[in-house]
Amino acid sequence: MLKFRKGATLAIGVATGALVLAACGGSSSDGGDSSSSSSGGDSSSSSSSSDSSAPTPDDGQAGGTLSILTSAEQLLSLDPQVIYTGEDLAFLGATIMRSLTAYQVAPGDTEGTTLVPDMATDTGTVSNEGKTWSFTLRDGITWEDGSPVTCQDVAYGTSRQFDTGLAEGGPVYGVSYLDIPVDEEGNSAYAGPADGTGQELFDKAVTCDGNTITFNLNQPVPDFNYAVTLGFSAVPAGMATGEEYANKPMSNGPYKIAEYSKGAGGKLVLVRNEAWNKDSDPYRLALPDSWVIDFGIEETVGEQRVMQSSGDDAYAMVQSLTTAALPVVFEDPQYESRRIDAFDPYTIYAAVNAEKIPDEKCRQAIGVALDRDALLLNAGGTYAGELADGVVKPNIGIDYAPTGLWDGLLGQPVPGTGDPEFAKKLLAEGNNCPTEITVDYGQTEDNDKAVAIWVESLARAGITVKPNPIERGQYYGVVFKDGNEIMFGGWGPDWPNASTVIPPLFVQGWNLSKVDDKEFNKQVQAASVELDREKQATMWQELDKIAAQKMWTVPTRFGRDQRLAGTSVGPIFSWAAYGSYPYPIMYAAQ
Amino acid sequence: MSQVVETESRASEADPSDVKGRSLTQIAWGRLRRDKTFIVSTIILAFFLLAAIFAPVITGFLGVDPYSLDPDVLDPAGGKPIGPWGGASWEHPLGVEWGTGRDIFARLIYGLRISLLIAFSATILVVILGTLFGIISGYARGWVDASIGRLMDLILAFPFFLIILALSGTMTQRLTDLGVPEGNASRITYLILVLGIFGWPYLARIVRGEVLSLREREFVESAVSLGASTPRILFREILPNLWAPILVYATLLLPVYVATEAVLSFLGVGVLPPDPSFGAMLGASTQYWTLVPSYLFIPGTLLVIIVVAFNLAGDSVRDALDPKAAKR
Repeated sequence: MLKFRKGATLAIGVATGALVLAACGGSSSDGGDSSSSSSGGDSSSSSSSSDSSAPTPDDGQAGGTLSILTSAEQLLSLDPQVIYTGEDLAFLGATIMRSLTAYQVAPGDTEGTTLVPDMATDTGTVSNEGKTWSFTLRDGITWEDGSPVTCQDVAYGTSRQFDTGLAEGGPVYGVSYLDIPVDEEGNSAYAGPADGTGQELFDKAVTCDGNTITFNLNQPVPDFNYAVTLGFSAVPAGMATGEEYANKPMSNGPYKIAEYSKGAGGKLVLVRNEAWNKDSDPYRLALPDSWVIDFGIEETVGEQRVMQSSGDDAYAMVQSLTTAALPVVFEDPQYESRRIDAFDPYTIYAAVNAEKIPDEKCRQAIGVALDRDALLLNAGGTYAGELADGVVKPNIGIDYAPTGLWDGLLGQPVPGTGDPEFAKKLLAEGNNCPTEITVDYGQTEDNDKAVAIWVESLARAGITVKPNPIERGQYYGVVFKDGNEIMFGGWGPDWPNASTVIPPLFVQGWNLSKVDDKEFNKQVQAASVELDREKQATMWQELDKIAAQKMWTVPTRFGRDQRLAGTSVGPIFSWAAYGSYPYPIMYAAQ
Repeated sequence: MSQVVETESRASEADPSDVKGRSLTQIAWGRLRRDKTFIVSTIILAFFLLAAIFAPVITGFLGVDPYSLDPDVLDPAGGKPIGPWGGASWEHPLGVEWGTGRDIFARLIYGLRISLLIAFSATILVVILGTLFGIISGYARGWVDASIGRLMDLILAFPFFLIILALSGTMTQRLTDLGVPEGNASRITYLILVLGIFGWPYLARIVRGEVLSLREREFVESAVSLGASTPRILFREILPNLWAPILVYATLLLPVYVATEAVLSFLGVGVLPPDPSFGAMLGASTQYWTLVPSYLFIPGTLLVIIVVAFNLAGDSVRDALDPKAAKR
């Protein structure tokens, strides 16, 4: 689950309800248009794939400063154990925070999500039937003060995931997978390095042998080498026990922090880290001399500056575009070489509360009645994406197969505009279906309109919808505690495996729908530990289909994302791993 | 009208030769009738008031409604209305909303309805509370006056906007628990109550000041010496002399509340979707206004016209009722 942060910027109506801090989900408008895949504009990510290897650095392109203009007032965090939004993982990973493995930086869905070694010499060695993973660190990796990055530093960084106060809202795959006992309430017996309780358990689960770090897991995890891309980054052992580390983390990448001030007018300035050893890092090109993030720049101002691209703005980029800017940017050929229109990692859906609506038919009736076409149009039409048929998105790779949800899986095909008659039939067949439901959503202008579409389209089937707007910053806190029948949400996988989509959404983690289906859980567990990747993919495809049919969510949209960079920024394509710019290889054209 | 004044006017009827013996009402009305600003602004207000009251009839006649979606008039890439001015056509006279195709004109007059309902109700509440507390406070003296005075200080010192935003959720829920229908009924009730409860002290202070001078007047003293009860003195003797300042204050308060309602909707504590409101329409316009300026200008202009018309009418009423103003 990459955290879904885009909502803050209301790019298109992608609008998530999730404000800046929202976790991965974004409540969203959504919708659909079943038409074709790539829509208005050039889709850089899905297009080419010829050049799958990292481009060779061109010496002429080194130097200069690249800048990012954002309306956010700060980065959510600089702490390696807290960073969780795709854009931040991509940017900070490219500049100050190395990890054991990383994703190849190349255009294309497959090429851009291929795992390559970063700090490790290879992408990991698995043994013990998938329950033991080990990685060997390269020689010559250093911190910005010149001291070496050791195996203990990686172990220490990992141990910080167990500090519940610190890593709240961060990725905690270490807590889920490491072989450390948990009590009945699911709390780990290890309380993190600051507290120290259970330290011996952690030291047994994560061991160092020279430069080799070994992770002992509680179950076979075939894709653990993907998990180490987030939350497993090194932190100098012994330092930084608490939250203060987020203000000035120690860099082990090609750049270090020179200045960080938050709020409007604030900026994050990264300059070259002289201690960084190029030989230890074949992954990053590190071409510009510095990077700057300018905070608190109003979206419309930022995109205007990048569109005009005069002076230093030629080296600037924005990470989203407002709905109103889209027609301008995508209808004018002068922007053709510097705009991006690609699938982002997110599926937008409406979670259906299975505790409040236990009957499958009743849930299906809601999905069938919904006008998904209208929701898609409201979110930005073809710019916003296309109709979704499940929570697993096609750009994940082999784990996706069409579920046929709207093409007969429910008994008959359902048009994008919804089918009130079929919905009424399902309501009649269902047991005690509610005729009045409440829809929770994070309040944005776009979501206000999206919920109006819910009201209108469900009324056709005789279901009364009561909108319940929730202040965006509090949205997920509120709906996880006491969500109503329907909750807007959005989810992106943490790595290209449906193990980061289906288990969190329907078993544990981000289970907005409050699903507790024993048979389904058993199948999910079986798929999670399946070592044969092809076979695992088939299992995920089947589970996606089951979840779609049971309508624990009404999947409404596979989201797209648009952005624009200045005339002297390159290369321009969407990096499929994060749906972001390809930060590790970007340059300022001289 | 007022007891005192009416006595005078009866006296003047008794002697038709005395043409100068016009009542204050007659003088004021005479002035207003000759005031072009007042006439024009009143006509505008009456027009909008009628439009708001008969909104369903008007939209029905034009064949539009504020809720139904119309994807056919939108560009499938981006959801932008097809055509200039937000897709204005005979079918949708003021265009349609970006992304949903809902009719702007219909949403505008339904929004006007809610806006005026809130403004009028809150003003009436302010007038009732302000007059009551003002009269009692001004006439009672002593500890009653002092405690009402401190209560007013307390309310005026409250950070009103902060309260209204912070308590919106819980108080709306509380109203629902008390039996107010869920949804917009309780949200509108909440807005009216909050605007009223935090608005009355201003009027009460004006009224109290008037009462302080009125209670020393001969007609009050004579009523007291005749043994009239306190309520009778307050409401039959003093109150009729207060209506001029109250009326003026009310006419000036209405436009403030129309604007406040828009601000609150803009901030998200107004009516729930899908019901329309000015503030929500203005809020929604901000991201599109470079491409479709009419989203901003239509509700914005209407809001300005209404507020200005109310203000001008209020000014005219004040001038007409001011005994010191030069007779025109």
